[in-house]
Amino acid sequence: MIKNNNNILNFLVILSLPILIIISPNWLKLNGVTPCWPVIFLLPFSIINKPWNSLITAFLLGIFVDSFTFSDVSYIPSLLILSILFSTYGLFNKKVELFFNIGLMAVFGTAFVGFSIWIQKIILYSVLRNNWFHSWSIYILTSEVIITGLVAPFVSSWLLIAYRKNYNKNF
Amino acid sequence: MIKARGKIGFHSFLRSRFWAIFFLVSLLIGIRWTKGAGYLDFYSILLKPILPGTAQKEWIMEGLNTERNILIKLLEEDNNRLRRALSLKEFNSEQRISAAVISRSSRNWWKQLEINKGSKNGILKGQTVIGPGGLVGLIDSVTPLTARVRLLTDPGHKVGAWIDRAKSHGILTGMGTDRPKLIFLNKNSLAEIGDIVTTSPASSLLPPNLTIGIVKFVNEKALPSPYAIVQLTASPGAIDWIQVLKNDDQK
Repeated sequence: MIKNNNNILNFLVILSLPILIIISPNWLKLNGVTPCWPVIFLLPFSIINKPWNSLITAFLLGIFVDSFTFSDVSYIPSLLILSILFSTYGLFNKKVELFFNIGLMAVFGTAFVGFSIWIQKIILYSVLRNNWFHSWSIYILTSEVIITGLVAPFVSSWLLIAYRKNYNKNF
Repeated sequence: MIKARGKIGFHSFLRSRFWAIFFLVSLLIGIRWTKGAGYLDFYSILLKPILPGTAQKEWIMEGLNTERNILIKLLEEDNNRLRRALSLKEFNSEQRISAAVISRSSRNWWKQLEINKGSKNGILKGQTVIGPGGLVGLIDSVTPLTARVRLLTDPGHKVGAWIDRAKSHGILTGMGTDRPKLIFLNKNSLAEIGDIVTTSPASSLLPPNLTIGIVKFVNEKALPSPYAIVQLTASPGAIDWIQVLKNDDQK
């Protein structure tokens, strides 16, 4: 039964991620920018799991999220680094369920992912190297960080509590 | 017996037929004097109710529109025949697939649309996507039931463009903002603010003469080549229905 709960939770997470990315409801957007869902979903999982498990999950999550975008730049490098950072942080800090704490981690994670995409695009497209000030990137980065910071404390902290409960029951 | 003066003066004139002749002569002199103005005015008042009105104007406009549509159709066919002779890309207005936008991401890191038609409906990678206002983007990937459109505003997205007034070619490059950059191929672009940007009539990849946008800013002194900032006429952020143009060889 406990095992079933864990499976149901994982199933719901896997189901809700593409739904949220594809539908991208307007009331969850800030200036037309959606929250960084991969970070929101990766954060609680990485905190309670060991680095290797997080790394594999981040890689699979990256492949999954990349399938919803053009095949030019990727989420994978930034998610791999974030998964190690989050899981290392989670090993030594057991009180990360705090509302603002998890929001702050999501904000830094989103900023890191955003910068990673931005840098990859600059490397890939020479036209972006003509002018180093990209107002559109700053606009997206700022909006994404703010909206993720607002959404993560609700979604990530709930997921973290749910994972912790199942984790403690299983082991 | 003395008669009253009135009866031998004006009264006798009225009683006689002479006044009628006098009136008729005066009328004729008046008409001659005014060159028939009164007569013509009267005639125009009489004609007013049966003169061509607004309804007739609509009929004439409808006729004119029909004539113009026929003319456009003939010119398109003529144009296509000549383009076929020159082995250039054709623009066939009948081969279009209408599709609804099911997911929109026009302000994120990736500027893209998801539409509800895919390879089962004949959509292929690289096909042109137009919306109300003109060119929107190109098909980037296709699934059996959906397709992903890469918008012109996506960073690094490049299509050939043409300014007819200046007769200059350029490469329209997405910069992430709503206004892509048109990088000219010639040193002197001769482009001006307000010029209309279309797809190149000599293009072998895109259909010719599709409206893209209007030039908003020109930098002739830019190095290595001059560029212009283009305001797109189609707004991907607000479009709910688009049309995909089929290839020439598709049925």
